[in-house]
Amino acid sequence: MNAFRAVGNCNKAKLVIITFFSLIALLACGVMETSEPNNVTFMAGYKPQANLPFVATYVAQEKGYFKEHNLEVEILHTTSGDNIQLLMSGDVDITTSDATSVLKRRSDPGIPITAFALFGQKGQQGFLSLKSSDFNSPKDWEGKTFGYKFSQPPEYLAILENEKVDRTKIQEVRVGFDPRVLTEGQVDILAIFKSNEPDTVRNLGFEVDLWDPADFDVPTLGLTYVTRETDIESEVVEQFLKATMKALEFTIENRDEAIDIVMKYAPEEDRDHQKFMLNTEIDDAQSAITDMNGLGSMTSNQWESLYGHLIRYGALPKEFDIKSAFTIDVLDQVYKGNKLR
Amino acid sequence: MQKYFVGFMKLSSYTIPPTLALFLLLSIWEIWVRAANVPIYIFPAPSIIFTRLFQDMGFFLSHGMTTLTEALLGFILGATIAMTGATFMAHSRLLERSLLPIAVMIKVTPIVAIAPIFVIWFGFGSFPKILIASLITFFPVLVNGMSGLRNVDPVVLDLLNSLNASRREIYFKLRLPSSMPYLFAAFKISIPLSVIGAVVGEWFSGDRGLGSVIIVSHANLDMPTLFSAIFVLAGIGVALTIIVFYLEKKVLRWHDSSVIT
Repeated sequence: MNAFRAVGNCNKAKLVIITFFSLIALLACGVMETSEPNNVTFMAGYKPQANLPFVATYVAQEKGYFKEHNLEVEILHTTSGDNIQLLMSGDVDITTSDATSVLKRRSDPGIPITAFALFGQKGQQGFLSLKSSDFNSPKDWEGKTFGYKFSQPPEYLAILENEKVDRTKIQEVRVGFDPRVLTEGQVDILAIFKSNEPDTVRNLGFEVDLWDPADFDVPTLGLTYVTRETDIESEVVEQFLKATMKALEFTIENRDEAIDIVMKYAPEEDRDHQKFMLNTEIDDAQSAITDMNGLGSMTSNQWESLYGHLIRYGALPKEFDIKSAFTIDVLDQVYKGNKLR
Repeated sequence: MQKYFVGFMKLSSYTIPPTLALFLLLSIWEIWVRAANVPIYIFPAPSIIFTRLFQDMGFFLSHGMTTLTEALLGFILGATIAMTGATFMAHSRLLERSLLPIAVMIKVTPIVAIAPIFVIWFGFGSFPKILIASLITFFPVLVNGMSGLRNVDPVVLDLLNSLNASRREIYFKLRLPSSMPYLFAAFKISIPLSVIGAVVGEWFSGDRGLGSVIIVSHANLDMPTLFSAIFVLAGIGVALTIIVFYLEKKVLRWHDSSVIT
């Protein structure tokens, strides 16, 4: 009996030891799994500055939100506008693009990219004139010179149509990116980014009037996060969005600290100008839709309105199935109502 | 008949090797893009580029003419100013010491930094592009012109001096002809540079010229259009360089440099 008991005790001891080591092994596997972060390369679509989608990544990096979501994120920038090509070549995993560009790239040459979060509930583009020009409405633009960056923006064409402005009476010229063409009188109306040039021109000592297409009932949308269509369902995209949306909430609540972080990435930039940029983009990032569904949210209606507007003004070379250009599925994984999960 | 045959053979010896080399390069490019399934918005195949180019040849030629005109006017302006400067500097060490550092400063200033300022000063027409093309072509002509005007045969110079030739006569009879090989060497560098200068100028403003086509098609990720514009630019550059070589051969019949071994 004692012998049996002794054997039984011995087996029990073995069982305990095996169970103990098995647990340690399992635990180790678990630790090893979580200690292997997913590598992500994010490329901001321009130089380091306080564009809201850029700031969300800077803050997520600095506050450790990426690490919380088991991500090791490399943040890159481009000034040459090659971010979509780099995304498609696999050098970059996630990048930024304004909604209009997403639709244009989808239309021609048919690049399979998908937007999964929308920061700009209103478009980035606006139009600037000097206060001294004394324009009361776009009708006053007749007989003047309009400067655009690359091609005539569809928002401009929509404003002209809505306000019954005779386009043939406006001289249109491509002027590039230097806002001094406005202050030096080369042009009277200048296509600008609302979060950038108004402040720059004011700092040069000029009072300005900003013409926001949204005020003329023109459907516009701003910057988005995009990835390859084939990767849209990956867990990494979901984790990236969770981390950046948390960072976005932090940014809105702690703007000064967020600007401190921006200045780490853009030390040569002017702090006040970055603050202007951030505040402008935070204002444009909030709407009834984001109040209901959370920051970064978007709806099919928004995209369809923009698509219809771009088709109407000939900004899209070809029609296509707009559903492929964006998805709200990732946002649904990130939010419950308007709260982060 | 034999004379024409010899001429044909000589021409063939110049044209066939580069044509074959180009054909080989384009073939490798085409095969690689197709084999690797490279998307059109990353790097289009030459067949796609040529299709785009020939479908809309009028568009590319019209913009090409704008760029060519700006480049040539810039080259003429830059070369004229440079040759005038070289003439004065070749005659005066003081002027050389005073002006050459300024010329070097112009040379090392990045054109892309100056171009937007020219737009603000001179507007959106052709003039700022011509100025940029002239700036970029200026320095090689200045330096080579100065060397050429100085580097004369001392025996001939002594002879002319002993004959009481005036400075003007020495300049036109001796210095200028002596400088021609140097100048043509500079022109061969400056002519392609003038095309680059015009293109850089067009990047920053206006909607005419191949530079404008390149910048807009890049913004739209329209690579076939972008590469078509580059091909036309390359054609312009090659054609201008051949013309300079041809002129050099005609003008410098008397000089060793015109003899091809």
